[in-house]
Amino acid sequence: MTSPTTEDLQAITEQVWLSYLDPEGVAPFLPSEETPALPHVIAAVSVTGAWEGHVVMAFSASASQMAASALLGIEEEEVSRDDIADAVGELVNVIGGNVKSLLPDGSLLSLPHVATIDEGVNKWPAAVEVCRLQGSWQNEPIAISVWTSKSTG
Amino acid sequence: MVIDDSRAMRLILRRIVTQLGFEVHEAGNGREALELLEKMDEPPTVALIDWNMPEMNGLEFVTAVRSQERYRQITLMMVTTESEHGQIVRALAAGAHEYVIKPFTPEAITEKLALLGLVPSGTMS
Repeated sequence: MTSPTTEDLQAITEQVWLSYLDPEGVAPFLPSEETPALPHVIAAVSVTGAWEGHVVMAFSASASQMAASALLGIEEEEVSRDDIADAVGELVNVIGGNVKSLLPDGSLLSLPHVATIDEGVNKWPAAVEVCRLQGSWQNEPIAISVWTSKSTG
Repeated sequence: MVIDDSRAMRLILRRIVTQLGFEVHEAGNGREALELLEKMDEPPTVALIDWNMPEMNGLEFVTAVRSQERYRQITLMMVTTESEHGQIVRALAAGAHEYVIKPFTPEAITEKLALLGLVPSGTMS
């Protein structure tokens, strides 16, 4: 069964950044080999049906704040927790929807789930990472990964 | 009318269509949009509709609107991450006029509205 690759994630992410976060092309997402520090905000959508797994975005606190600021067109200091949840939820929804387009027909996408991780806990039981794109945006770490459920491989 | 459960996405779409001269009403899901339609004196010219929303999704909203004669003049445009061919066919069969896949550019929305004759051709947002 075909699974998305890191190159797929990179192409999707570039398009999303250009459409919503960096329309002028001056502050792109920069892929990196370095593992980012523990995330502060996790946004995820689940895929069920013909393919089962998750698309997960992990942000530092500053990156999530910048994303909300850029999407909502407000100053970073004005960004609320609700703004962050809404903004990163929509980002993972769009990236997840585009990942789903690479998967077999009949896969379904869940509504986004957003969590603030204060204890550094980030576990996806019964799932295996398929691919990962990590890097930085304006020097703040962001990672995007795709996980498939162990039951469907 | 912009119907999306994401406030950020509603704002992005609001900016685009406001620049094209539209007055914008917002709803967070299909049910809210139907309630809003009930309260409006005049139905909107066009509705931009997300697919995956809580309570009532975009396809259910399209079906509900198309079942009511008084709303027949509303142009329905899906704006969604759902890009599977079968899903697009379902939405168009239910009565959607156009289909835009996220992520989109302002130009893509403008171009679709122009194709529908809702803004002059060659208009740039």
